[in-house]
Amino acid sequence: MAEKLSWTELRRILASRAGVSEKEANAFLTALNAEIVEALKTDKQVKINGLGIFKLQAVAPRKSVNIATGEAIIIDGYNKVAFVPEAGVKELIERGGVSPQPLPEGKGEDFAVVDPIKKLGSQAEEIVDILGELGQSPKEEEKPVKEPEPVSLPTPEPVKEPEPVKEPEPVVIPEPVKEPEPVFYVPQSQQVQEPEPPKKEEKRHHFLRDTLICVVILLLLLLVGYFFLRSQLGGWIDSLLQQEQTEQVAVVTDTTAAVLPAPIDSVIEEELTEEQILAEFLEASGETEGSETPDDQIYEDLITIEPMHEASRLTWMSKRFYGTKAYWPYIYDANKDHISNPCQIEVGTPIRVPKLTEAQKDTTSAAYRQLLQEAEEACRK
Amino acid sequence: MLTKDLISRIAVATGLSKKQVEHLMSTNNAILRENLMAGKAVTLQGFGAFEVKERSPRVIVHPRTGERTISPGKNQLVFRPVDNLKDELKKI
Repeated sequence: MAEKLSWTELRRILASRAGVSEKEANAFLTALNAEIVEALKTDKQVKINGLGIFKLQAVAPRKSVNIATGEAIIIDGYNKVAFVPEAGVKELIERGGVSPQPLPEGKGEDFAVVDPIKKLGSQAEEIVDILGELGQSPKEEEKPVKEPEPVSLPTPEPVKEPEPVKEPEPVVIPEPVKEPEPVFYVPQSQQVQEPEPPKKEEKRHHFLRDTLICVVILLLLLLVGYFFLRSQLGGWIDSLLQQEQTEQVAVVTDTTAAVLPAPIDSVIEEELTEEQILAEFLEASGETEGSETPDDQIYEDLITIEPMHEASRLTWMSKRFYGTKAYWPYIYDANKDHISNPCQIEVGTPIRVPKLTEAQKDTTSAAYRQLLQEAEEACRK
Repeated sequence: MLTKDLISRIAVATGLSKKQVEHLMSTNNAILRENLMAGKAVTLQGFGAFEVKERSPRVIVHPRTGERTISPGKNQLVFRPVDNLKDELKKI
Protein backbone atom coordinates (compact mmCIF):
# COMPACT_ATOMS: atom_id res chain seq x y z
CA MET A 1 0.00 0.00 0.00
CA ALA A 2 2.96 2.24 0.56
CA GLU A 3 3.74 2.11 -3.11
CA LYS A 4 2.69 5.07 -5.09
CA LEU A 5 2.50 6.02 -8.70
CA SER A 6 3.57 9.61 -8.85
CA TRP A 7 2.37 12.22 -11.25
CA THR A 8 5.57 12.23 -13.26
CA GLU A 9 5.64 8.48 -13.51
CA LEU A 10 2.06 8.44 -14.68
CA ARG A 11 2.85 11.06 -17.26
CA ARG A 12 5.82 9.11 -18.53
CA ILE A 13 3.98 5.83 -18.76
CA LEU A 14 0.99 7.45 -20.43
CA ALA A 15 3.19 9.15 -22.99
CA SER A 16 5.04 5.98 -23.89
CA ARG A 17 1.92 3.83 -23.94
CA ALA A 18 -0.23 6.20 -25.99
CA GLY A 19 2.58 7.18 -28.28
CA VAL A 20 2.50 10.88 -27.57
CA SER A 21 5.03 13.29 -26.16
CA GLU A 22 5.27 13.82 -22.42
CA LYS A 23 4.25 17.39 -22.92
CA GLU A 24 1.03 16.36 -24.56
CA ALA A 25 0.39 13.77 -21.91
CA ASN A 26 0.90 16.40 -19.24
CA ALA A 27 -1.44 18.79 -20.99
CA PHE A 28 -4.05 16.08 -21.24
CA LEU A 29 -3.81 15.12 -17.61
CA THR A 30 -4.03 18.66 -16.30
CA ALA A 31 -6.90 19.41 -18.64
CA LEU A 32 -8.61 16.20 -17.50
CA ASN A 33 -8.36 17.17 -13.86
CA ALA A 34 -9.42 20.74 -14.49
CA GLU A 35 -12.39 19.64 -16.57
CA ILE A 36 -13.50 17.14 -13.96
CA VAL A 37 -13.42 19.86 -11.31
CA GLU A 38 -15.26 22.22 -13.61
CA ALA A 39 -17.87 19.61 -14.45
CA LEU A 40 -18.33 18.81 -10.78
CA LYS A 41 -19.08 22.45 -10.16
CA THR A 42 -21.61 22.72 -12.95
CA ASP A 43 -23.17 19.27 -13.20
CA LYS A 44 -22.24 17.81 -9.82
CA GLN A 45 -21.49 14.55 -11.55
CA VAL A 46 -18.91 13.31 -14.02
CA LYS A 47 -18.92 9.90 -15.55
CA ILE A 48 -15.71 8.47 -16.89
CA ASN A 49 -16.08 5.27 -18.81
CA GLY A 50 -13.74 2.56 -17.67
CA LEU A 51 -13.13 4.16 -14.29
CA GLY A 52 -16.17 5.39 -12.46
CA ILE A 53 -18.28 8.34 -11.48
CA PHE A 54 -17.26 11.41 -9.58
CA LYS A 55 -20.08 12.94 -7.64
CA LEU A 56 -20.50 16.05 -5.60
CA GLN A 57 -22.44 15.06 -2.53
CA ALA A 58 -24.20 17.57 -0.34
CA VAL A 59 -23.89 17.08 3.41
CA ALA A 60 -26.83 18.66 5.19
CA PRO A 61 -26.26 21.09 8.04
CA ARG A 62 -26.65 19.51 11.44
CA LYS A 63 -26.97 20.46 15.04
CA SER A 64 -24.15 19.91 17.44
CA VAL A 65 -22.87 21.11 20.79
CA ASN A 66 -19.84 23.16 21.56
CA ILE A 67 -17.84 20.80 23.74
CA ALA A 68 -16.19 23.57 25.73
CA THR A 69 -19.27 25.61 26.57
CA GLY A 70 -22.13 23.16 26.05
CA GLU A 71 -23.69 25.67 23.70
CA ALA A 72 -25.85 24.39 20.87
CA ILE A 73 -24.35 25.20 17.50
CA ILE A 74 -25.20 24.39 13.92
CA ILE A 75 -22.56 22.85 11.72
CA ASP A 76 -23.02 24.24 8.24
CA GLY A 77 -23.73 21.94 5.35
CA TYR A 78 -21.04 21.39 2.77
CA ASN A 79 -20.24 19.42 -0.36
CA LYS A 80 -17.83 16.59 -0.64
CA VAL A 81 -16.41 14.66 -3.55
CA ALA A 82 -17.45 11.07 -3.75
CA PHE A 83 -16.11 8.56 -6.18
CA VAL A 84 -18.02 5.44 -7.15
CA PRO A 85 -15.93 2.99 -9.16
CA GLU A 86 -17.47 1.21 -12.09
CA ALA A 87 -18.78 -2.27 -11.30
CA GLY A 88 -16.07 -4.09 -13.24
CA VAL A 89 -13.31 -1.94 -11.82
CA LYS A 90 -14.59 -2.37 -8.30
CA GLU A 91 -14.66 -6.10 -8.64
CA LEU A 92 -11.15 -6.23 -9.98
CA ILE A 93 -9.81 -4.11 -7.19
CA GLU A 94 -11.68 -6.03 -4.54
CA ARG A 95 -9.85 -9.13 -5.62
CA GLY A 96 -6.70 -7.02 -5.67
CA GLY A 97 -3.41 -8.75 -6.21
CA VAL A 98 -5.09 -12.12 -5.68
CA SER A 99 -6.74 -11.86 -9.06
CA PRO A 100 -5.20 -14.56 -11.19
CA GLN A 101 -6.26 -13.06 -14.50
CA PRO A 102 -4.34 -10.15 -15.93
CA LEU A 103 -6.31 -7.23 -17.24
CA PRO A 104 -6.37 -7.01 -21.03
CA GLU A 105 -4.56 -3.82 -21.80
CA GLY A 106 -6.18 -0.72 -23.22
CA LYS A 107 -9.51 -2.32 -23.91
CA GLY A 108 -11.66 0.27 -22.20
CA GLU A 109 -14.98 -0.83 -20.81
CA ASP A 110 -15.15 -4.22 -22.48
CA PHE A 111 -12.15 -5.55 -20.58
CA ALA A 112 -14.33 -7.97 -18.69
CA VAL A 113 -15.28 -9.83 -21.83
CA VAL A 114 -12.42 -12.12 -22.65
CA ASP A 115 -12.08 -14.46 -25.56
CA PRO A 116 -11.57 -17.74 -23.74
CA ILE A 117 -9.78 -19.64 -26.47
CA LYS A 118 -7.36 -16.88 -27.16
CA LYS A 119 -6.90 -16.51 -23.44
CA LEU A 120 -6.15 -20.18 -23.04
CA GLY A 121 -3.60 -20.08 -25.75
CA SER A 122 -1.79 -17.08 -24.35
CA GLN A 123 -1.98 -18.54 -20.88
CA ALA A 124 -0.42 -21.76 -22.05
CA GLU A 125 2.36 -19.81 -23.73
CA GLU A 126 2.91 -17.78 -20.65
CA ILE A 127 3.08 -20.84 -18.45
CA VAL A 128 5.59 -22.43 -20.76
CA ASP A 129 7.61 -19.23 -20.57
CA ILE A 130 7.35 -19.09 -16.83
CA LEU A 131 8.36 -22.68 -16.41
CA GLY A 132 11.30 -22.07 -18.65
CA GLU A 133 12.31 -19.06 -16.62
CA LEU A 134 11.84 -20.88 -13.38
CA GLY A 135 14.41 -23.36 -14.51
CA GLN A 136 16.90 -20.48 -14.96
CA SER A 137 16.13 -17.65 -12.55
CA PRO A 138 12.78 -16.22 -11.39
CA LYS A 139 13.53 -12.53 -11.93
CA GLU A 140 10.31 -11.58 -13.63
CA GLU A 141 8.87 -9.93 -10.53
CA GLU A 142 10.28 -6.57 -11.49
CA LYS A 143 7.40 -5.73 -13.85
CA PRO A 144 4.05 -6.14 -12.15
CA VAL A 145 2.58 -3.26 -14.11
CA LYS A 146 2.81 -4.72 -17.56
CA GLU A 147 2.23 -8.30 -16.60
CA PRO A 148 0.29 -8.78 -13.39
CA GLU A 149 0.67 -12.53 -13.86
CA PRO A 150 3.95 -12.67 -11.88
CA VAL A 151 1.98 -11.79 -8.79
CA SER A 152 0.77 -15.33 -8.63
CA LEU A 153 4.13 -16.62 -9.77
CA PRO A 154 5.64 -18.32 -6.75
CA THR A 155 2.74 -20.64 -5.97
CA PRO A 156 1.30 -22.15 -9.12
CA GLU A 157 4.27 -24.20 -10.33
CA PRO A 158 2.70 -27.66 -10.20
CA VAL A 159 -0.94 -26.63 -10.03
CA LYS A 160 -1.15 -24.57 -13.16
CA GLU A 161 0.51 -27.01 -15.48
CA PRO A 162 -2.38 -29.40 -16.14
CA GLU A 163 -5.01 -26.68 -16.20
CA PRO A 164 -4.93 -25.46 -19.79
CA VAL A 165 -4.46 -28.98 -21.13
CA LYS A 166 -7.21 -30.73 -19.22
CA GLU A 167 -10.04 -28.26 -19.32
CA PRO A 168 -10.56 -26.31 -22.48
CA GLU A 169 -13.91 -24.98 -21.29
CA PRO A 170 -14.80 -21.33 -21.76
CA VAL A 171 -15.12 -20.80 -18.01
CA VAL A 172 -11.55 -19.80 -17.36
CA ILE A 173 -12.17 -16.67 -15.37
CA PRO A 174 -14.29 -17.96 -12.55
CA GLU A 175 -12.32 -21.14 -12.14
CA PRO A 176 -9.18 -19.72 -10.62
CA VAL A 177 -11.31 -17.36 -8.64
CA LYS A 178 -12.79 -20.26 -6.74
CA GLU A 179 -9.39 -21.40 -5.62
CA PRO A 180 -8.95 -18.91 -2.81
CA GLU A 181 -12.50 -19.35 -1.59
CA PRO A 182 -12.04 -22.40 0.59
CA VAL A 183 -9.38 -20.46 2.44
CA PHE A 184 -12.05 -18.01 3.52
CA TYR A 185 -14.88 -20.37 4.07
CA VAL A 186 -13.20 -23.20 5.92
CA PRO A 187 -13.08 -21.25 9.17
CA GLN A 188 -16.58 -20.10 8.43
CA SER A 189 -18.07 -23.58 8.50
CA GLN A 190 -16.29 -24.25 11.75
CA GLN A 191 -17.50 -21.06 13.27
CA VAL A 192 -21.05 -21.65 12.21
CA GLN A 193 -21.17 -25.07 13.76
CA GLU A 194 -19.60 -24.07 17.03
CA PRO A 195 -22.36 -21.85 18.39
CA GLU A 196 -25.07 -24.39 17.60
CA PRO A 197 -24.83 -26.69 20.64
CA PRO A 198 -24.90 -23.75 23.08
CA LYS A 199 -28.09 -22.65 21.35
CA LYS A 200 -29.73 -25.97 22.14
CA GLU A 201 -28.59 -25.73 25.72
CA GLU A 202 -29.96 -22.25 25.86
CA LYS A 203 -33.30 -23.52 24.63
CA ARG A 204 -33.26 -26.22 27.28
CA HIS A 205 -32.51 -23.60 29.91
CA HIS A 206 -35.35 -21.48 28.64
CA PHE A 207 -37.68 -24.44 28.80
CA LEU A 208 -36.65 -25.29 32.35
CA ARG A 209 -37.03 -21.70 33.45
CA ASP A 210 -40.48 -21.41 31.89
CA THR A 211 -41.74 -24.58 33.56
CA LEU A 212 -40.31 -23.41 36.89
CA ILE A 213 -42.13 -20.11 36.57
CA CYS A 214 -45.35 -21.96 35.71
CA VAL A 215 -45.03 -24.22 38.74
CA VAL A 216 -44.36 -21.29 41.07
CA ILE A 217 -47.35 -19.38 39.73
CA LEU A 218 -49.57 -22.47 40.16
CA LEU A 219 -48.39 -22.90 43.74
CA LEU A 220 -49.12 -19.27 44.49
CA LEU A 221 -52.59 -19.59 43.01
CA LEU A 222 -53.26 -22.69 45.10
CA LEU A 223 -52.11 -20.91 48.24
CA VAL A 224 -54.34 -17.93 47.55
CA GLY A 225 -57.27 -20.22 46.79
CA TYR A 226 -56.65 -22.15 50.03
CA PHE A 227 -56.66 -19.06 52.20
CA PHE A 228 -59.71 -17.68 50.48
CA LEU A 229 -61.64 -20.89 50.96
CA ARG A 230 -60.50 -21.15 54.54
CA SER A 231 -61.70 -17.68 55.39
CA GLN A 232 -65.02 -18.37 53.69
CA LEU A 233 -65.51 -21.90 55.01
CA GLY A 234 -64.10 -20.96 58.39
CA GLY A 235 -66.85 -18.39 58.82
CA TRP A 236 -69.48 -20.94 57.92
CA ILE A 237 -68.04 -23.60 60.19
CA ASP A 238 -67.70 -21.11 63.02
CA SER A 239 -71.33 -20.10 62.65
CA LEU A 240 -72.24 -23.78 62.93
CA LEU A 241 -69.96 -24.21 65.89
CA GLN A 242 -71.44 -21.18 67.54
CA GLN A 243 -74.77 -22.91 67.83
CA GLU A 244 -73.13 -25.79 69.62
CA GLN A 245 -71.09 -23.41 71.69
CA THR A 246 -74.18 -22.23 73.51
CA GLU A 247 -74.25 -25.68 75.03
CA GLN A 248 -70.52 -26.08 75.44
CA VAL A 249 -69.51 -22.56 76.44
CA ALA A 250 -67.95 -23.81 79.54
CA VAL A 251 -65.60 -26.14 77.70
CA VAL A 252 -64.57 -23.52 75.17
CA THR A 253 -63.90 -20.87 77.77
CA ASP A 254 -61.98 -23.37 79.80
CA THR A 255 -59.57 -24.17 77.02
CA THR A 256 -59.09 -20.56 76.07
CA ALA A 257 -58.74 -19.48 79.61
CA ALA A 258 -55.90 -21.91 79.97
CA VAL A 259 -54.13 -20.07 77.16
CA LEU A 260 -54.79 -16.67 78.69
CA PRO A 261 -51.63 -15.73 80.50
CA ALA A 262 -52.99 -12.85 82.54
CA PRO A 263 -55.11 -14.26 85.39
CA ILE A 264 -53.47 -17.18 87.10
CA ASP A 265 -56.50 -17.76 89.25
CA SER A 266 -58.66 -18.58 86.27
CA VAL A 267 -56.35 -21.43 85.34
CA ILE A 268 -56.82 -22.95 88.72
CA GLU A 269 -60.56 -22.74 88.65
CA GLU A 270 -62.21 -25.60 86.87
CA GLU A 271 -64.98 -23.82 85.09
CA LEU A 272 -65.02 -20.29 83.89
CA THR A 273 -68.22 -18.72 82.84
CA GLU A 274 -68.55 -15.72 80.60
CA GLU A 275 -69.48 -13.61 83.54
CA GLN A 276 -66.28 -14.45 85.33
CA ILE A 277 -64.15 -13.49 82.33
CA LEU A 278 -66.14 -10.33 82.01
CA ALA A 279 -65.61 -9.63 85.65
CA GLU A 280 -61.87 -10.07 85.28
CA PHE A 281 -61.97 -7.88 82.26
CA LEU A 282 -63.85 -5.26 84.17
CA GLU A 283 -61.35 -5.43 86.97
CA ALA A 284 -58.50 -5.01 84.48
CA SER A 285 -60.05 -1.93 82.96
CA GLY A 286 -60.55 -0.76 86.53
CA GLU A 287 -61.24 2.81 87.46
CA THR A 288 -61.95 4.19 83.98
CA GLU A 289 -65.34 2.57 84.12
CA GLY A 290 -67.19 5.77 84.72
CA SER A 291 -66.20 7.78 81.65
CA GLU A 292 -68.15 7.50 78.43
CA THR A 293 -65.42 7.87 75.78
CA PRO A 294 -65.27 5.02 73.29
CA ASP A 295 -61.77 4.14 74.50
CA ASP A 296 -63.25 2.88 77.70
CA GLN A 297 -66.25 1.26 76.17
CA ILE A 298 -67.23 -1.84 78.00
CA TYR A 299 -68.42 -4.79 76.06
CA GLU A 300 -71.14 -6.33 78.14
CA ASP A 301 -71.30 -9.58 76.32
CA LEU A 302 -68.71 -11.65 74.50
CA ILE A 303 -69.48 -13.87 71.56
CA THR A 304 -66.41 -15.96 72.15
CA ILE A 305 -62.76 -15.91 73.07
CA GLU A 306 -60.63 -17.33 70.35
CA PRO A 307 -56.89 -17.83 70.17
CA MET A 308 -55.31 -15.99 67.32
CA HIS A 309 -54.34 -18.52 64.72
CA GLU A 310 -51.83 -18.24 61.98
CA ALA A 311 -52.73 -16.14 58.98
CA SER A 312 -55.75 -14.64 60.72
CA ARG A 313 -56.46 -10.94 61.05
CA LEU A 314 -58.78 -8.90 63.20
CA THR A 315 -60.55 -7.79 60.07
CA TRP A 316 -61.16 -11.38 59.06
CA MET A 317 -62.45 -12.25 62.47
CA SER A 318 -64.72 -9.24 62.27
CA LYS A 319 -66.00 -10.50 58.96
CA ARG A 320 -66.55 -13.95 60.38
CA PHE A 321 -68.45 -12.86 63.46
CA TYR A 322 -70.18 -9.71 62.30
CA GLY A 323 -70.36 -10.28 58.55
CA THR A 324 -68.30 -7.20 57.78
CA LYS A 325 -64.69 -6.19 58.15
CA ALA A 326 -65.69 -2.76 59.35
CA TYR A 327 -66.08 -3.68 63.03
CA TRP A 328 -62.52 -4.82 63.60
CA PRO A 329 -61.71 -1.73 65.71
CA TYR A 330 -64.15 -3.01 68.35
CA ILE A 331 -62.28 -6.29 68.56
CA TYR A 332 -59.05 -4.37 68.95
CA ASP A 333 -60.64 -2.15 71.52
CA ALA A 334 -61.81 -5.13 73.51
CA ASN A 335 -58.30 -6.59 73.55
CA LYS A 336 -56.31 -3.38 73.85
CA ASP A 337 -54.95 -4.41 77.23
CA HIS A 338 -52.74 -7.15 75.81
CA ILE A 339 -52.40 -6.15 72.14
CA SER A 340 -50.10 -3.31 71.29
CA ASN A 341 -50.25 -3.52 67.51
CA PRO A 342 -53.48 -4.86 66.02
CA CYS A 343 -51.73 -5.57 62.72
CA GLN A 344 -49.11 -7.83 64.26
CA ILE A 345 -50.69 -10.15 66.77
CA GLU A 346 -48.76 -13.13 67.97
CA VAL A 347 -50.19 -16.50 67.12
CA GLY A 348 -52.03 -18.00 70.07
CA THR A 349 -52.96 -14.71 71.68
CA PRO A 350 -56.53 -15.03 72.98
CA ILE A 351 -58.86 -12.56 71.32
CA ARG A 352 -62.08 -11.47 72.93
CA VAL A 353 -64.83 -10.98 70.42
CA PRO A 354 -67.46 -8.68 71.94
CA LYS A 355 -71.13 -8.55 71.12
CA LEU A 356 -72.00 -5.25 69.55
CA THR A 357 -74.95 -3.09 70.34
CA GLU A 358 -77.00 -1.45 67.63
CA ALA A 359 -75.44 1.90 68.45
CA GLN A 360 -71.95 0.50 68.01
CA LYS A 361 -72.86 -1.00 64.65
CA ASP A 362 -73.45 2.46 63.22
CA THR A 363 -70.27 3.06 61.27
CA THR A 364 -71.09 6.72 60.73
CA SER A 365 -70.99 7.58 64.39
CA ALA A 366 -68.21 9.73 65.80
CA ALA A 367 -67.36 7.10 68.37
CA TYR A 368 -66.74 4.51 65.69
CA ARG A 369 -64.63 6.88 63.65
CA GLN A 370 -62.51 7.77 66.61
CA LEU A 371 -62.01 4.13 67.41
CA LEU A 372 -61.08 3.35 63.86
CA GLN A 373 -58.56 6.17 63.78
CA GLU A 374 -57.06 5.00 67.02
CA ALA A 375 -56.82 1.40 65.83
CA GLU A 376 -55.20 2.50 62.58
CA GLU A 377 -52.72 4.62 64.44
CA ALA A 378 -51.83 1.70 66.65
CA CYS A 379 -51.31 -0.31 63.51
CA ARG A 380 -48.84 2.22 62.18
CA LYS A 381 -46.64 1.88 65.24
CA MET B 1 -21.57 15.05 -17.50
CA LEU B 2 -20.74 12.05 -19.57
CA THR B 3 -17.43 10.86 -20.96
CA LYS B 4 -18.25 12.17 -24.43
CA ASP B 5 -18.76 15.71 -23.25
CA LEU B 6 -15.68 15.53 -21.09
CA ILE B 7 -13.60 14.39 -24.08
CA SER B 8 -14.82 17.19 -26.30
CA ARG B 9 -14.12 19.75 -23.61
CA ILE B 10 -10.62 18.43 -23.02
CA ALA B 11 -10.03 18.48 -26.77
CA VAL B 12 -10.95 22.12 -26.87
CA ALA B 13 -8.79 22.93 -23.85
CA THR B 14 -5.66 21.13 -25.07
CA GLY B 15 -5.95 21.63 -28.79
CA LEU B 16 -5.72 17.88 -29.42
CA SER B 17 -8.14 16.02 -31.65
CA LYS B 18 -11.07 14.21 -30.03
CA LYS B 19 -9.70 10.88 -31.19
CA GLN B 20 -6.37 11.55 -29.56
CA VAL B 21 -8.03 12.59 -26.37
CA GLU B 22 -10.19 9.50 -26.39
CA HIS B 23 -7.14 7.32 -26.89
CA LEU B 24 -5.29 9.11 -24.12
CA MET B 25 -8.26 8.79 -21.86
CA SER B 26 -8.66 5.03 -22.27
CA THR B 27 -4.91 4.50 -21.91
CA ASN B 28 -4.91 6.62 -18.80
CA ASN B 29 -7.78 4.66 -17.31
CA ALA B 30 -6.05 1.39 -18.11
CA ILE B 31 -2.89 2.58 -16.38
CA LEU B 32 -4.86 3.64 -13.35
CA ARG B 33 -6.68 0.33 -13.15
CA GLU B 34 -3.55 -1.73 -13.44
CA ASN B 35 -1.77 0.17 -10.76
CA LEU B 36 -4.70 0.17 -8.42
CA MET B 37 -5.18 -3.52 -8.94
CA ALA B 38 -1.60 -4.10 -7.91
CA GLY B 39 -2.33 -2.19 -4.73
CA LYS B 40 -0.53 0.97 -5.75
CA ALA B 41 -1.92 4.38 -4.97
CA VAL B 42 -2.09 6.86 -7.81
CA THR B 43 -1.74 10.55 -7.13
CA LEU B 44 -3.13 13.08 -9.52
CA GLN B 45 -1.51 16.44 -9.01
CA GLY B 46 -3.88 19.18 -7.98
CA PHE B 47 -6.82 16.80 -8.00
CA GLY B 48 -6.52 13.96 -5.56
CA ALA B 49 -5.38 10.44 -5.05
CA PHE B 50 -6.83 7.05 -5.73
CA GLU B 51 -6.00 4.63 -3.00
CA VAL B 52 -6.71 1.01 -2.38
CA LYS B 53 -7.73 0.30 1.16
CA GLU B 54 -7.78 -3.09 2.72
CA ARG B 55 -10.95 -4.20 4.41
CA SER B 56 -10.18 -7.03 6.76
CA PRO B 57 -12.44 -10.08 7.05
CA ARG B 58 -15.13 -9.78 9.65
CA VAL B 59 -17.90 -11.80 11.21
CA ILE B 60 -21.33 -10.82 9.97
CA VAL B 61 -24.58 -11.84 11.65
CA HIS B 62 -27.71 -12.43 9.64
CA PRO B 63 -30.25 -10.13 11.29
CA ARG B 64 -33.17 -12.51 10.92
CA THR B 65 -31.67 -15.95 11.46
CA GLY B 66 -28.79 -14.92 13.70
CA GLU B 67 -26.51 -17.00 11.52
CA ARG B 68 -22.87 -16.09 11.78
CA THR B 69 -20.66 -16.11 8.75
CA ILE B 70 -17.33 -14.65 7.87
CA SER B 71 -17.36 -12.02 5.23
CA PRO B 72 -14.05 -12.28 3.41
CA GLY B 73 -11.93 -9.21 3.39
CA LYS B 74 -11.54 -7.15 0.28
CA ASN B 75 -9.80 -4.17 -1.13
CA GLN B 76 -11.69 -1.02 -1.71
CA LEU B 77 -10.97 1.80 -4.06
CA VAL B 78 -11.24 5.20 -2.47
CA PHE B 79 -10.70 8.63 -3.88
CA ARG B 80 -9.22 11.30 -1.69
CA PRO B 81 -9.39 14.81 -3.11
CA VAL B 82 -6.57 17.20 -2.22
CA ASP B 83 -7.36 19.73 0.49
CA ASN B 84 -7.50 22.62 -1.97
CA LEU B 85 -10.17 20.92 -4.02
CA LYS B 86 -12.08 19.90 -0.92
CA ASP B 87 -12.24 23.46 0.30
CA GLU B 88 -13.03 24.78 -3.15
CA LEU B 89 -16.01 22.51 -3.56
CA LYS B 90 -17.29 22.79 -0.03
CA LYS B 91 -19.19 25.95 -0.81
CA ILE B 92 -20.66 26.37 -4.23
